[in-house]
Amino acid sequence: MSDHVLLEAGGLCKYYHSGGSDVAALDQVDFQLEKGAFTVLSGRSGSGKTTLLNMVGLLDTPDMGSLHIAGENVLALSLSERANFRLQRIGFVFQAYNLIRVLSARENIAYVLQLRGMKKTERLAIADHWLFEVGLDGLGNRRPDQLSGGQQQRVAVARALASKPALVLADEPTANLDSVHGESLMSLMRDLNDRCGMTFLIASHDPVAMAAAQQCVYMQDGRIVSVATP
Amino acid sequence: MIISLAWRNIIRNWHRSMVTIAAVATGLSALIFLWGFNDGVHNTMMRNLQQVIVGSIQIHHDTFFKKSSLSRHIQQTDTLKEALLEAAQGGRIKALSWRLDTFALAAGDDVSEGLVLLGMDANAELKTTRIAQKVDQGRFLQEGDGAACVLGATAARNLGVTLGDDVIFLTQDRFGALAADKFQLVGIISSGEMGIDRGLAIVPLNILQSMLEMNGRYTRIVLQVEPEHLEAVTDSLRMSLKGKGYEVLRWYDMYPMMKQWVELENAFYYIFLGVVLLIVAAGIMNTVLMSMLERVREFGVMMALGCGRGVLASMVIVESIILGGLGVIFGLGLGLFLIAWFHSAGIDLSAQMDTVARFYVDPIVYTEIDTDHLWQTVGSVMAAAIIAAIVPAWRVTRLQPVEAIHHV
Repeated sequence: MSDHVLLEAGGLCKYYHSGGSDVAALDQVDFQLEKGAFTVLSGRSGSGKTTLLNMVGLLDTPDMGSLHIAGENVLALSLSERANFRLQRIGFVFQAYNLIRVLSARENIAYVLQLRGMKKTERLAIADHWLFEVGLDGLGNRRPDQLSGGQQQRVAVARALASKPALVLADEPTANLDSVHGESLMSLMRDLNDRCGMTFLIASHDPVAMAAAQQCVYMQDGRIVSVATP
Repeated sequence: MIISLAWRNIIRNWHRSMVTIAAVATGLSALIFLWGFNDGVHNTMMRNLQQVIVGSIQIHHDTFFKKSSLSRHIQQTDTLKEALLEAAQGGRIKALSWRLDTFALAAGDDVSEGLVLLGMDANAELKTTRIAQKVDQGRFLQEGDGAACVLGATAARNLGVTLGDDVIFLTQDRFGALAADKFQLVGIISSGEMGIDRGLAIVPLNILQSMLEMNGRYTRIVLQVEPEHLEAVTDSLRMSLKGKGYEVLRWYDMYPMMKQWVELENAFYYIFLGVVLLIVAAGIMNTVLMSMLERVREFGVMMALGCGRGVLASMVIVESIILGGLGVIFGLGLGLFLIAWFHSAGIDLSAQMDTVARFYVDPIVYTEIDTDHLWQTVGSVMAAAIIAAIVPAWRVTRLQPVEAIHHV
């Protein structure tokens, strides 16, 4: 794996048992992601985007294939080592925001830093910085239920980026947002990608997301069928 | 972080948490109160037994308790005095009384009845036991009394004697010769204890010693000590008097049934404690499990962000400990308040006490709780709270991040 490649997947397969037969959610997927890329995985529902994202995010395990992230064979890691790898290297943005309800926006952002053992003053200062970056300055003490969907997703982005992970994975981040907020979120993520150099892999079939991408990977029936640069 | 998150999760559904805390507090306070009632009854029984007549410890000739006889007597030897001095160090012996007792036939005008004739030193006895307080007609013995006697109420009734009447006691002296004397009834005891009321006559020690040719001789020494010194004083006396012809018996060596009864009742309470603990544990587990199932998605997100399963399981356990801990704080407060209140006010059970009064139970129960029972109960409730969290915590560790994140 060359130095500029962050992620390399080879022959990834994932089967689900359904109706007496095995259905291939991922079928021999070979995939590379370069450092600093802003890549969108696209395709219809059921094409395997989220499954691939889950494999790459070490949330699920493939039935076959290899997966290296930052030069490490991540499939050889134990469950606790995977948890630690996610903590140190991967940031997540979920479709349904998935903020922790009992924590304020600021605390949600600081949560991963806290898991990493960072001191309170330091992590809260970083959280405040990221609140500013995502345009939520002054709203840090609000709980998720006191924020709009767009604001919650911005907090989720800030949470994913605050720990400066090597790889940011976003699963349909604009799906629950209107087009204005969706566009705004994608431009924010793209801007952060440009400025911070973090690698983004986004699963989305939103044209707004695809328009923002450096590279679009199209999936169909668990396979990568094309790679395009918009 | 774990404690802070656990606390916020508890106050997230404050009403449900309050119900759980209230249930734990109610269960614990009820248990503490019941222990208080139980210990109040038992301690009163044991205190009454010791303080009314038996004493905490008795010293006899080494075969006297099993086969009492005037020939098995003791005297105020240097050995005995030194042993008592040694045992009394640090004020561990509150008071002691030398006694002489034998079996006698008591006769009134028309009726005679067998009973225990007990010689007491009035002054020493006033310091050692509360038998004088049980006199409800006439008076107890006084220093300088001649041939005066105090009878149990039932014995007096059976003999058909009243205050001022003469009672003849017929017995054998130390040499086996018949000894008889006439005593004037000066007091009648109503203790509620059958053995005393029906079968006891108390006369001045020196008069009985003369009557039985037992001058300078006694059958027992009765010691009063605080419960915390009972074993130490017994050990000291047994060590000092070992192989010298004495037996040193604690109250429960002489009356084992009382102690066994207390232990049996305590065993019933432990069973009851277990049942209540099951209910408490089920209540806490219900709350924690509900709370956990509501947050499956959140747990999935936390796992995705890199939070270890151990941390999540710890959080669930801490939530349970906080719920149990708050329940314990309120329950302990309420339980101790109830104990203090009824320790002062008492619970009047006179209507229900006719049959049990003879077992040294007072009709008014004043609650008190042994610290062992208190901490066992509190500790058990906390343990129940921790055990109740095991299932929810285990379920958290079984969650798969992908499934948990998409949990509806």
